[in-house]
Amino acid sequence: MPIQTSSLDKKKKIRPDGPGKVTGELKYLTDLSFPGMLYGKILRSTEPHAEIQSISTELAKQLPGVRAIVTYEDVPGLNGFGLIFPDQPVLCEDRVRYVGDAIAAVAADTIEIADEALQLIQVVYKKLPVIIEPEKALHPNAPKLHPDGNLLHRAHYSKGDVEKGFELCTHIVEGTYELPRQMHAYMETEGGVIVPEVDGNLTVYVGTQHGFKDRYQLARILNMNESDIRIVSSPMGGSFGGKDELNVQPYGALLALATNCPVKIHNTRRESVRAGLKRHPMKITMKTGVDDTGNIISHKVKIVADTGAYATLGPAVLDFAVEHAPGPYIIPNIEIEGVSVFTNNGVAGEFRGFGGNQVTFALEGQMDRLAERLQMDPIEFREKNLRQVNSPGPLGQKVAPTSGAKDVLEAIKQKLTNITNENDSLEKWKVTGTGVAISIHGGGLGAGRMDPAGGRLSFTSEGKIEVAFGFEECGQGLLAVIETLIMEEFHCMEDDIHIVIGDTDSVPVSGSSTASRATSMVWNSIQRMKDTFRSKILERATKVTGLPVEDLCMGPNGIWFKDDNLCITFVELAEKTLHEPFIKVETSFDFPTSPDAVVDGSHFLYAFSSVLAKVEVDLLTGKIKVLTLDQAIAAGPVVSLLGYQGQIEGGGIMALGYSLMEEAKMENGHYVNDNFDTYLIPTIQDVPFVMNVEAIEKLQDGDIYGPRGVGEIGTIAVAPAIVKAIHDATGCWISKLPVSREVLLEHLSSRGEKRWI
Amino acid sequence: MDMKEQAEVMTPPKMELSLTINGANYELQVPPTKRLVTILREELNFTGTKISCEVGRCGACAVQMNNQLVNSCLVMAYQANHASIITIEGLSGEELDPIQRVFLEEGGFQCGYCTPGMMMAVHALLATNQAPSEEQIQEALSGNLCRCTGYGGIIRAVQKAISNNNQK
Repeated sequence: MPIQTSSLDKKKKIRPDGPGKVTGELKYLTDLSFPGMLYGKILRSTEPHAEIQSISTELAKQLPGVRAIVTYEDVPGLNGFGLIFPDQPVLCEDRVRYVGDAIAAVAADTIEIADEALQLIQVVYKKLPVIIEPEKALHPNAPKLHPDGNLLHRAHYSKGDVEKGFELCTHIVEGTYELPRQMHAYMETEGGVIVPEVDGNLTVYVGTQHGFKDRYQLARILNMNESDIRIVSSPMGGSFGGKDELNVQPYGALLALATNCPVKIHNTRRESVRAGLKRHPMKITMKTGVDDTGNIISHKVKIVADTGAYATLGPAVLDFAVEHAPGPYIIPNIEIEGVSVFTNNGVAGEFRGFGGNQVTFALEGQMDRLAERLQMDPIEFREKNLRQVNSPGPLGQKVAPTSGAKDVLEAIKQKLTNITNENDSLEKWKVTGTGVAISIHGGGLGAGRMDPAGGRLSFTSEGKIEVAFGFEECGQGLLAVIETLIMEEFHCMEDDIHIVIGDTDSVPVSGSSTASRATSMVWNSIQRMKDTFRSKILERATKVTGLPVEDLCMGPNGIWFKDDNLCITFVELAEKTLHEPFIKVETSFDFPTSPDAVVDGSHFLYAFSSVLAKVEVDLLTGKIKVLTLDQAIAAGPVVSLLGYQGQIEGGGIMALGYSLMEEAKMENGHYVNDNFDTYLIPTIQDVPFVMNVEAIEKLQDGDIYGPRGVGEIGTIAVAPAIVKAIHDATGCWISKLPVSREVLLEHLSSRGEKRWI
Repeated sequence: MDMKEQAEVMTPPKMELSLTINGANYELQVPPTKRLVTILREELNFTGTKISCEVGRCGACAVQMNNQLVNSCLVMAYQANHASIITIEGLSGEELDPIQRVFLEEGGFQCGYCTPGMMMAVHALLATNQAPSEEQIQEALSGNLCRCTGYGGIIRAVQKAISNNNQK
């Protein structure tokens, strides 16, 4: 059974954007073209760190077919962007800090001419020392990459006294865990078309995870009113956090304004890799101690994150990692210190899991090593220290009560009893092992952050229930979530609904499509609007039909009398009440936060996961094959069955790649593997043929928050489970991802592990 | 090289290209090295065929050329001359193709960007092998990357297509 839910009435539903996707008819924003459209290209730095001594565009401007070239001199407003603070130049004037830094942009009649023009732009650099290691960046004598130095952000939390705590411990494990720079590797690279409108306004057809935020940032750069910019932000061919920050939008906008023509920019894969965000590489040192019965007494954590050249959401990612460092465990003495450091490496930023993946790998690694020291079953050890229903959050804050941690561990324990370590292979040089890990993951942006939500329901003159949200469809299945919830609430049909998302001119403020928040906020918005909307519709139906309102209800295609008789269709109702005021219900509120959080960004709503991995290790080659990757998820009710399953399986496999194959390597500030020929992501050959997902839908009595999002939770606990399975198979502890075959083989041969001979 | 010469390099001589796409004939003037994916997307607006890695590794641009699955980013105009091409737009007629139907029913996609290429690959597999084994499915689809689904939904969709075939 590939997906198992607590309630049996969930059914697979075809998603509203599905037919367009399987027929190829759906236009992604990079598929659009407009009359008179030009093509844009962006000149990015060849140096990871240098002074710009001069930029000459004269030669390039003479190339026939070149229509405009813009540099820093052509930025009318603020020459900077960044979701938290705008420290990344749109177009660099005197200095470059990484190989993705933009220096000029060209609009031309064809891509080939634009490409050729880039070659003709002459930039004279004076090389500066390249800082590639965060530790060196923090050295007092290191060159400063930004006016305030190289420390982007420090985050700290402590309670109790860790050093005293360690004195009480019988076993202490200390380890350093190294996590790689991972690529989002969305199949559709960044791009779209920016169109200057006849009235002087600008329409930006480029994917993003928060249209209003793009509008705000672009207005600042272009020195335009926000209301004069329209952002059409969906659909997208994947994002995973990577398109949350501005990417090609400012360049397309500057070129469109300079030429008064629509300008298309669609990054090639190499351009995308070079300029785009990545997952933060982190080095995490954890020292964790237990008493002789297995109670965790003390936990000391140091996190060093390489945030690359600019901030974007680096500070928030670090806060998230710090928050999740204690995981779902109750620990009396904690000290966590995190630093996020500027270097001349590629910019690291928002990526599915948001710092949780890194810190959970370290934490669960500690748990397994401690269990081994204690000679205790690793699940029993986790159970012993696990948070309870009313336990505070990881940083001591009040959180919505949840049995999620216990539930996912219990579920995976059941699965573990059904799996054997039997080696099915006849090849004696192959060994198998199993591993389990669990995770906790906060939803929403967290305490102290602006995190507005909201939505709108209206009844259109065509007789549709129009539901509008300021969210984007990145592929996650948000449209299916909205459709399913509206159908369940109003018992109507697909055809009765018109969904509006991803267009700042026609959607309400809902906040970002990030942080596993959209499904959760759609549900909450509908709860707030449904009764008012329903009664307004029914009142109107009463007026038209003369039937008593208490006998009417909403149903398939219209208003039903006593549940069994369609008395007026939605279309008829709209036609007969065209003169009446428009029915419109709106809501706006904030994502729920903890009432007593002391640390910015800490959460109130959490989801939980457990993972069971079984691997086969080839002792001759070090090749690791994941045979089983089953997950149990506690995130409240399932809204869309296929969407939920897809998020967990897909997140799991993205994390399998993180565990075993993916690393965006940089050498002296340059990307080494910049396309899918050298940066390998999992193919269908690398995944278990069958994966099982168990959705634990239970919420505590009185929980009013509904479904939690599952966009990230499926990626969090996979790596530690796989690494534990490798340990189970071989006896080797791995602390660095992706797991290196060479390191594994060295471990094996140094211990004389040659069982196949 | 002066600017004019440079511009000439940018606009190489063109060839007469004759193509059949989804059963319809097209005559175009294009440089012989122009890639099939660009011809489809930019010249003829068949944007169902996607572009992603441009080095033949991801399969997003996969189409069928003379009944063979090819990455259209690796085919140049002169190699495609007089060829018959089937793109995703040509997979279904009035009704959805059974493969499209099972992808919808089983969640064989999320963002959908790999989907046209993936379905062309599934179509090529099932056209030659009505009942492929697990290994044959994996082999046939190993050139098509999907970042969203983890392939679970794709595998279930293909299995359903096979079992639907068997029930016929």
